[in-house]
Amino acid sequence: MAFAWKASGLTYNRYLAITARVVRRSLKEQPRLQAERRGEMELRFAKWEKSKQGENKNLAEVNSADMAEHAGKE
Amino acid sequence: MLSRAVRPALNAGTAVSARPVTANAANYATLREIEQRLKSIKNIEKITKTMKIVASTKLTRAQRAMTESRSYGETSNTVFEKAETKPIKGEDKKTLIIVASSDKGLCGGIHSGLTRATRRMLTENPNSDLVILGEKCKTQLGRTNAKHIRLSFAGVGKDVPTFAEALAIADQVSLLPTEYGDVQILYNKFFNATSYEPTPIQAFSEEAIASSPQFALFEIDDEVLANLREYALANSLYWALAEGHACEQSARRNAMDNASKNASDMINKFQILYNRTRQAVITGELVEIITGASASEE
Repeated sequence: MAFAWKASGLTYNRYLAITARVVRRSLKEQPRLQAERRGEMELRFAKWEKSKQGENKNLAEVNSADMAEHAGKE
Repeated sequence: MLSRAVRPALNAGTAVSARPVTANAANYATLREIEQRLKSIKNIEKITKTMKIVASTKLTRAQRAMTESRSYGETSNTVFEKAETKPIKGEDKKTLIIVASSDKGLCGGIHSGLTRATRRMLTENPNSDLVILGEKCKTQLGRTNAKHIRLSFAGVGKDVPTFAEALAIADQVSLLPTEYGDVQILYNKFFNATSYEPTPIQAFSEEAIASSPQFALFEIDDEVLANLREYALANSLYWALAEGHACEQSARRNAMDNASKNASDMINKFQILYNRTRQAVITGELVEIITGASASEE
């Protein structure tokens, strides 16, 4: 079984997030506004190396960048 | 920051009330001091009361989210229960501990409870890595166990956690370079409004799922297995985040309730002290006037 999204380097969770976003955006105006609040995310994260905290980065941006990098490898 | 502001006032309060009132009668400066302190404590009480009300309203929403998310997490874990999945314990296999705390303090000891539980797990099993959600546990664990930390997330717990957040976190976690034999998600389990306990949820590695005894019961292709693992991780994370959030709100409500009670106790004490001192000042003045008058009569 080959998945198109897997071939393009997405993880299953990323795939889920994207499909969920599409569904939310295609709703009618009233339920859409409510649903879009559930999709908001303001997480920042940092990698730690050798007991030091790295730079704080926006999670959403890094995630898409990582996926793009992943896609190149496979 | 508020608790720090309260403490000097508290110390000052005990210092003042310990001093005998009659000794420094007729002293205008202390009277004004007491008045100022009284005013600042009243302000603090106002703030803590407001925070309590805010926490109570947030708590109902958080509890609803918690019960909903619990069913997600439990359903996704049923698969592993039925398959009798066991974590792989081996010398060379590392354990990953995900600590689900949040960014904000002023909610009693729930963050330090998590930190303590994490340290205990680390001493039992030193071959572990940490992923920390939330600033509070990050600063606490960063001081003592910095070499174990691999990732830390901030911006958690501002509002009721969303599944999108859980997905994104699970994504980053699964992108970690090391292979883990065992993943534990540590969160505060909500028993009732006043008691919660740091509890781990198990999440399994692909290997562990594949080698579980009843695995043949399910028809799972090897290729889909990775997806199942990632999705289960996201589910468990969502559950842990939502339950932790509910615990935090209820803990904050209790903490602010206690703070308001303490503040009103102190206000009473200071009000009495203020009145006494004021009367002592008036009496002192009267004594001075009368003695002066009787002296000039003679």
